[in-house]
Amino acid sequence: MSYYDIDAILTDAQKVPCTFEITIPGLGYLEGNSNIDIKQGTRVELPLWLAEMLGVSQRLGTEQNVISLDLPPALAPRVQNALKANPCTVDLRSLASHYYSLGERILGLLEEDELVDILSETFKKRAAEIADHAHNPQGVISSGGEFLKGLDENERQLFKTAHESAKAIRAFLSDRSSGKK
Amino acid sequence: MNNNNHSASGPLTPAEVAFLCEAQSVTIIPRQRLDGLDLIGGYIPPFHPPQRTTIPLWLALLLKRQRRCNIVPPPWLSAPNIERILKTETENQNLFCPDLPYRWLETAELLLEGCPDDLGGDDGELRVLLRGLREVRQGKVREGLGKLEATYLQMNNLGLLEITEVRGFAKGVVDGLRKIGASTGVGLVLGWMMMISRWGWCFISMVFWTG
Repeated sequence: MSYYDIDAILTDAQKVPCTFEITIPGLGYLEGNSNIDIKQGTRVELPLWLAEMLGVSQRLGTEQNVISLDLPPALAPRVQNALKANPCTVDLRSLASHYYSLGERILGLLEEDELVDILSETFKKRAAEIADHAHNPQGVISSGGEFLKGLDENERQLFKTAHESAKAIRAFLSDRSSGKK
Repeated sequence: MNNNNHSASGPLTPAEVAFLCEAQSVTIIPRQRLDGLDLIGGYIPPFHPPQRTTIPLWLALLLKRQRRCNIVPPPWLSAPNIERILKTETENQNLFCPDLPYRWLETAELLLEGCPDDLGGDDGELRVLLRGLREVRQGKVREGLGKLEATYLQMNNLGLLEITEVRGFAKGVVDGLRKIGASTGVGLVLGWMMMISRWGWCFISMVFWTG
């Protein structure tokens, strides 16, 4: 992941729900009202990069965390159950544009062993589906449109890769057999 | 040839695979006398028609186009043999037939294009059989990609062009799975193993120095 990687930057910008564990003076603008302290117990949606920083920091000299992180709605148990039931029918893109990257980052912060399995299984199942769609350009428009619209950024890249390599091979082989150069 | 396909298909494009394929040797029956050629890629011995010689495929295709030689197709590229392989492939659904050479698909394509009249008479039948063979094997590749894991993928006897076709996709899936699993025990152990294999020698030499 490079510093200038646009996907990494967009992943950083995704919102995570957090609860402040202590009152912090002058941080009210995070809630939208300036010049007021942010109170203990306030729930705010923070971008991932900030939530990550605050989530791992502690108040000086104490064991008390500054904020506690919650699962973002995209990874909530309701979505997890839907993914368990049928990975290919969930519209990941409407949940988060960089769904898997968000998942990876959250998994780095929270201990969620079941979520790892669910995400891996989802990715695997959907990748197989993507490969089928990528090799079959006629079928895309008729049947797979809904599924392909719901791909997250990572999966789109995957689709593009599979589609283009299949296309390159097809072009190569048909060029040859039709005798063109 | 445009090379913006590189990112999609990995390090090689189909055209480059075909180019590499042209370096392999093929037997020809020359029709004209030719003195030896001293090329950078190697020495081409003199031609004494109708004695057979072995030369690189690219030169054979060039001479064929100029009607200076006939190409002897490799023994595996015959309708009965391909039919036999096709039968083996259809009967064993979880095995790629080991009787095909590594560059079978691109060699067959080049020869079918360059010298259809040298391939034992019926190149149409051969084309149909090869297409069938390719489709059966593609089906198996598809099956195999459905079983991808974060660490390991094995498909024996897959041809270079077939590998080129799936490389980009397989790489993406394996990488994605690795990233998702990176926070679990297996992922951490894998990460450590990679780090140790990279830095192991540094540590050992440091211990050696300080000790």
